[in-house]
Amino acid sequence: MKIFHLPDLGEGLAEAEIREWYVKEGDVVKVDQPLVSMETAKAVVDVPSPYAGKIVQLHGKANEIIKTGAPLISYESDEVVADKGSVVGKLETSEKKWNDGDVIVGGAKKTSTTIKAMPAARVLAQQLNVNLSDVKPTGRDGLITADDVKQHMNQAATSTTALTGATEGLRGVRRVMAQTMAQSHREVVPVTIIEDADLTDLPPKTDITARLLQAIVIAAKEEPALNAWFDGKSLERKVFNEVHIGLAVDSAEGLFVPVIKNAETLADAELRKKVDEYKKSVMDRSVAAKDLQGATITLSNFGMITGKYATPIIVPPAVAILGCGRSRDTVIARNGQMVIGRVMPLSLTFDHRAVTGGEATRFLGAVIRELQK
Amino acid sequence: MAEMTLVEAVNQALAYEMGANADVIVMGEDVARNGGVFRATLGLLDKFGPERILDTPLAESMIAGLAVGMATQGLKPVAEFQFMGFIYPAMDEIINHVARMRNRTRGRLTCPVVFRTPFGAGIHAPEHHSESTEAYFAHTPGLRVVIPSSPARAYGLLLASIRDPDPVVFLEPSRLYRYAKQEVNNDGKALPLDVCFTLRSGEDVTLVTWGAMVKESLAAAETLLASGVSVEVIDVATIKPLDINTILASVEKTGRCVVVHEAPLTCGVGAEIIAQVAEKALFSLKAPPERVTGFDTIVPYAKMEKYYIPSEKRIIEAVNRLMEYA
Amino acid sequence: MKIVDRFEVPYYQYLNEESHLADVIPPLAEDQKTLLDLYRLMMLVRVMDTKAIALQRTGKLGTYPSTRGQEAVFVGIGNAMEKDDILVPYYRDMGTLIQRGTKLSQILQYWGGDERGNCFGNHDFPYSVPIGSQTLHAAGAAYAIKYRKEKRAVVSIIGEGATSQGDVYEAMNVAGVWKLPVVFIVCNNQWAISVSREAQTAAHTIAQKAIAAGFEGEQIDGNDIIAVQHRTVEALKLAREKGQPRLLEMVCYRQHDHTTADDASRYEPKNTRETEWKKEPIERLRRFLVEKKWWTDQQETELQESCAKQVDVAVQEYLSVTPQPLESMFDYLYAELPEIYIPQRDLLKEVEKVVHG
Repeated sequence: MKIFHLPDLGEGLAEAEIREWYVKEGDVVKVDQPLVSMETAKAVVDVPSPYAGKIVQLHGKANEIIKTGAPLISYESDEVVADKGSVVGKLETSEKKWNDGDVIVGGAKKTSTTIKAMPAARVLAQQLNVNLSDVKPTGRDGLITADDVKQHMNQAATSTTALTGATEGLRGVRRVMAQTMAQSHREVVPVTIIEDADLTDLPPKTDITARLLQAIVIAAKEEPALNAWFDGKSLERKVFNEVHIGLAVDSAEGLFVPVIKNAETLADAELRKKVDEYKKSVMDRSVAAKDLQGATITLSNFGMITGKYATPIIVPPAVAILGCGRSRDTVIARNGQMVIGRVMPLSLTFDHRAVTGGEATRFLGAVIRELQK
Repeated sequence: MAEMTLVEAVNQALAYEMGANADVIVMGEDVARNGGVFRATLGLLDKFGPERILDTPLAESMIAGLAVGMATQGLKPVAEFQFMGFIYPAMDEIINHVARMRNRTRGRLTCPVVFRTPFGAGIHAPEHHSESTEAYFAHTPGLRVVIPSSPARAYGLLLASIRDPDPVVFLEPSRLYRYAKQEVNNDGKALPLDVCFTLRSGEDVTLVTWGAMVKESLAAAETLLASGVSVEVIDVATIKPLDINTILASVEKTGRCVVVHEAPLTCGVGAEIIAQVAEKALFSLKAPPERVTGFDTIVPYAKMEKYYIPSEKRIIEAVNRLMEYA
Repeated sequence: MKIVDRFEVPYYQYLNEESHLADVIPPLAEDQKTLLDLYRLMMLVRVMDTKAIALQRTGKLGTYPSTRGQEAVFVGIGNAMEKDDILVPYYRDMGTLIQRGTKLSQILQYWGGDERGNCFGNHDFPYSVPIGSQTLHAAGAAYAIKYRKEKRAVVSIIGEGATSQGDVYEAMNVAGVWKLPVVFIVCNNQWAISVSREAQTAAHTIAQKAIAAGFEGEQIDGNDIIAVQHRTVEALKLAREKGQPRLLEMVCYRQHDHTTADDASRYEPKNTRETEWKKEPIERLRRFLVEKKWWTDQQETELQESCAKQVDVAVQEYLSVTPQPLESMFDYLYAELPEIYIPQRDLLKEVEKVVHG
């Protein structure tokens, strides 16, 4: 079936009213044969047929209003492609109503005072990783000058020297990392507990990552204090029922942490699928911004490359991160004997402002218990 | 209260003011019997008669000059130029007389005319019908230049323009003429001239625009909000004299500024705005200002027209570039 | 008191409304071959014009100004011109353009919104949308001809509405006082969008506006192709050989809306079009040709078919033309594009890759 859509009959007309049909359903028409008389805001015009063929359907009755671009007539046809009335360009018509909302005559109110700084000062501050709000302004009207930034650097406790020679300004993910880590360092009170999980008795080809994720889900149910968000300024915390696990994934451009939402509802196979999808979408940079937000707890599998234990860093507002090092064969003690077993090192960092030692150790214990089941 | 399109709001305002003030005369080509080629003057002939709605002979310079003569004698001519591309024969009258009458006669004679014209691209019309050259008028001392961007503002600003004792060039964005409807109260209330309208409050970026580009700008702001960027959208409305203070206060708040206009880049009104922002708010800037505008070319014919008009995508890209500066 | 000047405005008609010849006729009236050529051309214009309107109504063409009912004016002018005369058209002149080398598909291209529709392959001027402004160009081109002592003339075509524009009087005035080889031809189709001829000017004829500029003006029945062609030939001879301008007012009727974006039923008195249609030029000539046994029904059928085919070919050509690459917006801005615009053109090149692949 071929559909003829109502074209723009004038200069930017949004709609037209059917005055009178010259044809009816079942009629066979020729090219250019007048089909219908349409009344627009500007004129009454006859619309000729763009095709020869049999009319199958008229999309409106006399006095009905048809929007430009909407179907007008259907013709019998072997083709499946619908004709869009081939209007040049896009039509500026809309069903929307103008919603001015809160139009303010003049300017909107300021909600916070902003920092005034010489452009050169801003650039310098960025290069030196100085927070402008920490710098004391000495210029006119509270203006921060480049000198003020330099002074601030000189007064800094550590003798950081400015970089000389050819330097590279951090951009993108690296830049965010530098800023985020510094912020975490300033705010979080981290404690890391380390322990090994004994994976010797697990069947070969077990999907360790999926097991680990499931273990986190169960541990989070037992010790929800670690599956929470904390606001250091207001001293409020929010404990979650859902478990959204952030999965740290490394890539050429840096670290990304896509979030497996509602991990508590997913089976092993689904978890594995999600993990693989994310690995791929991080590699080809197609991961969506919304998938990088909302983690309630994070897993960092840094052991893929090397390393046993670590002190992984918590990014507020989260309060916990589990780091998983490289599994290895090693000598373990069993029933008083030395045997070769497979051991996976785990490091759990928790924010001691919001989580107690007891909660943390019980959490880690639950993770290991589930892993070893 | 009734729902109407922008061009209907223009019609409503004209009808209201003609009813309220017997000195208002509407004139132009095809405005009386035909009601105007966009129907902006529809029904006025029936309401007010052929001595107040004049179908002029085909001559733009004459239309402007007649208006000058009438205005100096106390009438209030509201003249229509069929498209901005055809206002150019009237430039001599506008620049040499309309803009100067009060000054040259030290206030003895004044020229309170309103020159209305549809402007801007995007209606797939033949060449010369897509001009966006508000800069020519903004550069002329003695004129006001007013550009509405919604039916309600068209109504309120046109009333204000007609009542203003100084000449106003009132540019109506043809692309928005019939785009969607809005509730407009036909209460004769004018909106203030010489002041910007803040259409959307925001914290991260100040987006300054006018006319038809308000549509793309608001759409871009909505899209950007979804990715966490909050854009303050300011409709300049009165291009000249420019309410720079509203723009400066906003830039001081957000630290980032982008100007969006359809007119070509070089020497567009955006250049004036950015110059003033640099002069008066430089130290509040976190990022260099940007302009998203039409290219420095003749507006292409209908087949390439939509690639000339700044798109929502180009606006979003500009804002994202600004956001790279913390 | 004495009268210091009087003027006369002649009216020319050779083939009247009943398709009968006047007593005094020009050679063209007996030139079977040329008359048949003119008839075929007028029919082609009519068929193409009707198709163009249909194309606009089906969204395949932009705003289009019909030339319906005015075929004799434009076809006659085109036939009267020499190849190296210069045409300064306005925008209804399809009948003239196609005789000067412009293809039908190119005419569609212009109204379809493609700049290439304005690059005629000859030395004529492009379309002029700002009314009347082109008459000054015609005067300037005529001056160049005179300066170089060439045996050529300029034809400037305008509507009667344009004669209210100051530019048009300025052009006529300078043509008169400098004795420029330009013929101003007014297609008086009685309407300037919605403004009737009577509301446009109090002058009794448009032709007499030439008197004020110091040269002759004449009225011609624009529905009489013989009168149109002959008087144009005569005026061009005068311009070419004596450097004398002239104003020809072709009286006809606009048999469609101003453009496809207009609705004449809002202002045109009912039945006027019908009444005026009785004078229309193609039927008038056909009856004459049939009378003279120079044309048969069979030939008429064949002509309709051939015109329909030609128009079809033109439409297909137009619809299948490759669009210009977007960066072509910058191609003809200057002889050589200044460096500072290159980044903007590059931006368009990127968009072009996405849009046209």
